[in-house]
Amino acid sequence: MAADVDRQLWESTNGSLSIEPVCSDRADSPAPGLVSGTEPGAGQETAMFAHTESFEDLTADTEGAGLEPQEREASLQEGRGEDEEEPREECAVIGRQQQEGGREGGVRDKDKDEDVTSDAWRAHRKHVFVLSEAGKPIYSRYGSEEALSSTMGVMMALVSFVQSGDNTIRSIQGDGYRVVFLRRSPLVLVGVSRGSQSAGQLLRELQYVYLGIVSLLSATQLQRVFAHRQSYDLRRLLSGSEHLTGSLLRLLERDPGPLLSAVACLPLPGPARDRVSACLRQARAPPLTFSLLLAGTRLVSLVRRRDLHLHHLDLHLLANMAASCSAFREAEGWTPVCLPKLNAAGFFHAHVSFPLPGTPLCLLLLSTEREAFFELSACKQRFLELLHKRNALLGLQEALSCPTYSVALVGVPELRHFVYKSRSSGLYTSPELEGPYSSDEEQERLMCLYQQLHSRLHHPTRPLSSIYHTTHTHNLYAKVTSGFELYLCFSALGTKAIAEAAVSKLLKWIRKEEDRLFILNPLTY
Amino acid sequence: MTAMRVDAKVVMLGKESVGKTSLVERYVHHRFLVGPYQNTIGAAFVAKPTHVGDKVITLGIWDTAGSERYEAMSRIYYRGARAAIVCYDLTDSSSFQRARFWVKELQNCEEHCKIYLCGTKTDLIEADRAARQVDYHDVQDFADEIGAQHFETSSKTGNNVDELFQKVAEDYNSSSFEVMPGEMSFIQKMKNLRLPHVALRLH
Repeated sequence: MAADVDRQLWESTNGSLSIEPVCSDRADSPAPGLVSGTEPGAGQETAMFAHTESFEDLTADTEGAGLEPQEREASLQEGRGEDEEEPREECAVIGRQQQEGGREGGVRDKDKDEDVTSDAWRAHRKHVFVLSEAGKPIYSRYGSEEALSSTMGVMMALVSFVQSGDNTIRSIQGDGYRVVFLRRSPLVLVGVSRGSQSAGQLLRELQYVYLGIVSLLSATQLQRVFAHRQSYDLRRLLSGSEHLTGSLLRLLERDPGPLLSAVACLPLPGPARDRVSACLRQARAPPLTFSLLLAGTRLVSLVRRRDLHLHHLDLHLLANMAASCSAFREAEGWTPVCLPKLNAAGFFHAHVSFPLPGTPLCLLLLSTEREAFFELSACKQRFLELLHKRNALLGLQEALSCPTYSVALVGVPELRHFVYKSRSSGLYTSPELEGPYSSDEEQERLMCLYQQLHSRLHHPTRPLSSIYHTTHTHNLYAKVTSGFELYLCFSALGTKAIAEAAVSKLLKWIRKEEDRLFILNPLTY
Repeated sequence: MTAMRVDAKVVMLGKESVGKTSLVERYVHHRFLVGPYQNTIGAAFVAKPTHVGDKVITLGIWDTAGSERYEAMSRIYYRGARAAIVCYDLTDSSSFQRARFWVKELQNCEEHCKIYLCGTKTDLIEADRAARQVDYHDVQDFADEIGAQHFETSSKTGNNVDELFQKVAEDYNSSSFEVMPGEMSFIQKMKNLRLPHVALRLH
């Protein structure tokens, strides 16, 4: 089995993509027309992640939806369509479109006992259902799956009905609701949203939920159980993973990372980060493939094997997993985990620890050997000793105590918030959500606005390079170039002229701060 | 604390949500965390030194996930274990069925592993006697039959938790005098059992 995994790992890495940015001059006042690889935040050597483009990846998978497993494997590795396409065979029932501005906070945690016939259940802003192709319920975000079996039966009937006409159901829209279907044989995922989320965004979330399931079971095991028995109740194998899926969905609603296909870094002065990374590299052991240091969903450092690239999506899944298990907090975790973007067929084995008690610092050591626990545990020990010896600990602790920064530092009074992604490095930076955005509800509202801008910029048939959008509370500006992607949120007093001036000021500021906000010197073993 | 120096490997087994992690948490950190239930993913390892007479014995405790998903992995956690604490929830009779499954598994695969049956959540029984679904005497009979020790604990109040682990350490201490010939240390075993490793070499 282990040998098998290794072999498959090799095969998949051969097809993996790496971007080698040309990094000649790093201008202090970068012009918006920068070449990819020289924008603020671009890595100085090779890219850390397998793939740093933003939207194409998702569609590449969608295209592969109908393929057989083996073919899909191939398409995961090679097929990254340049152009992102709207579902071609769309079966969209357009009804009364009723945009809803107001949203209820709703119950956040899944409540198994929630009555699925109640108005409260219907009022949830977003429902996510997972079912098997036999129509068996597997997951529901709210309420118990058993109580929803007839609802899920109807969903499967819709999918099958459209399928029987050699067509694929993609979405249904009407009465203020949007229903999106994602078929990933042997699973069917359905998202139901009230509000202004685009179908593409919902699809992305369903894709994450699907890959979250794959990360627990691997695609191979998933195929196998259903090949063996079509009516298998997958909840048996997924029991206990509901809170992982729940927290993943919350992450998707709150964190710009999945939207931008990028990862945020913990702000840390360049020399301090380099010291930490060097310690991490020196503490390596032969079975290691990746060493990651995370603070929540923020990356502190990543050391990887030269021939392997981690995908940002796998990283989001890993961060979500590490943060969702209290047993890891005080002990050392050892768990099989599948990284679906790197290799959906096999398992990695992750050593998870929180080496500095009282801080969110999480060390993830990934290996392909399932017996390597003690070897990796020794790595962790060595890493901690090196941190002490080289006085790298203090800087790290300081950074952990203030993981964000204020938008006021940029020096544009009307600017409330921004998200900046360096496209070549796949990293993004964003200030703290403060002032009007301190409540969860407002944060989600802002994310929703960013999502709307994102789907306009990356529109399948009419992509835009910049967009200015005014509402009675905000002025939003978004811009995408070959080097970066930028979303700005201004107060109602902002104007388009201010926004355009702010872009160059912000780029200058990010350039000045880039060694703190980004990882410029990613290491390999 | 180096994870390497471990005298006895102890594995926690049992159906999910019976309270294996809470039991370890209570024993190692003397506390009970209230909050939403979080399933363990894979397994968690913690080493805890404990005094037996004038000796210090370090227990290496593997807290495994109860989910069926990790069943295939469970062998690597209990292989070479000196003690297995098989947990069941006193208020859930199905969890005891699962405990019987683990006992059978251990008897088949790890004959040298001592078994400790541990009923959890006695605080719930004390609050409401009718909540009990697993009879004390039935379990005692089963324990006698398989030659296991039997405890009922509460991680919330701490009732009987230290006693359980103390017993594990003492039993290890008294049995380690009568070492079986040719017995290897756990780490040696792990090394010998390592699968031949293929590919994945550094360039």
